[in-house]
Amino acid sequence: MKSILRSLFVLFITCFSIVVKAQEQQPMLGQMAPSFTLKALDGKTYSLDQLRGKYVVIHFAATWCPFCNAEAPYLQQLFISYRDKGVEVFIVDVKEDKALVEKSFARFGFSFPVLLDEDGTVSARYAPAGVQPDLARHEVPLASNLLIDKEGKIRFYSLLNTTNFDARLTKLKEKLDALLYSN
Amino acid sequence: MNPVMIIVPFFLLPGKKELQSADIVKITVPEIVVHAGESSVIKIKIEIKKGYHIQANKVNDEYLVPTILAISDYKTIKPGIPQYPRSKKIQLEDTDIFLDIYDGVFEIKIPVTVAKEIPKGKHRIKGTLQYQACDNKICLFPKTIAFSFTIKVI
Repeated sequence: MKSILRSLFVLFITCFSIVVKAQEQQPMLGQMAPSFTLKALDGKTYSLDQLRGKYVVIHFAATWCPFCNAEAPYLQQLFISYRDKGVEVFIVDVKEDKALVEKSFARFGFSFPVLLDEDGTVSARYAPAGVQPDLARHEVPLASNLLIDKEGKIRFYSLLNTTNFDARLTKLKEKLDALLYSN
Repeated sequence: MNPVMIIVPFFLLPGKKELQSADIVKITVPEIVVHAGESSVIKIKIEIKKGYHIQANKVNDEYLVPTILAISDYKTIKPGIPQYPRSKKIQLEDTDIFLDIYDGVFEIKIPVTVAKEIPKGKHRIKGTLQYQACDNKICLFPKTIAFSFTIKVI
């Protein structure tokens, strides 16, 4: 009986570790980031393909999203801190009207481009397969942060469903520093 | 059966099934009985799925999506202004931001006035509830869901 209980305990710990590890795993790491071309609030058009050779941080947002708004000042800080190190920052606003986005985000004083994914197509491409299958695909990446490397590969993806909320972007900055200072 | 064989599949099951927004909010309205020419208050019961919350009716950020209940305005049945419950305050993890929210089970009360000339019997009333739900990890897109209930005029 004791040995059965011991086996069960070991099994429990092993399985618990697997589950926890699985929850911490980020999706799409090492994959090429889906390409996109989107218009920004500043009227310019930005294409991911044109950003090869730079590190790119993307945050999927909506004006009504509390997580996104909490993170906004820290995203601006990150941009200021890293803009001279070959890092570009973008917000991709998902399925909202330009006028609303312009008005809402004015309060954050972003000095990086805010892109408009008006039909959610780009957001949907960043939804990892099998994650949150009951949601519309464009809803899945909301409030997530991605770091794309110089070759266009995803190196960090804080999908909120799989990780704890990190408003101060601590983990993203750690990854960014690791990449910047390993080269 | 070997107990291990039961436990293994249990723990290796994938995480909880993700919820659609519609699964998160359940609306129940009891049948209302009212005399023609009189008023009554409809108590609309809202149940929020455990672990989730929705933004309150009064939010502290104009860009958040508040909970709004609306009842169709009919010629003979006139809804009044909804009375929302007191909201709770929660702190967003890792921030100094507080949100006004509803969770668990609560009621929204809405007065209705029934005209004198309304025919006696059951009348189907339509309503909508706008809300935006989150848990402690994700926020779902705002939704407006339709519901209906019966007013029995005697």
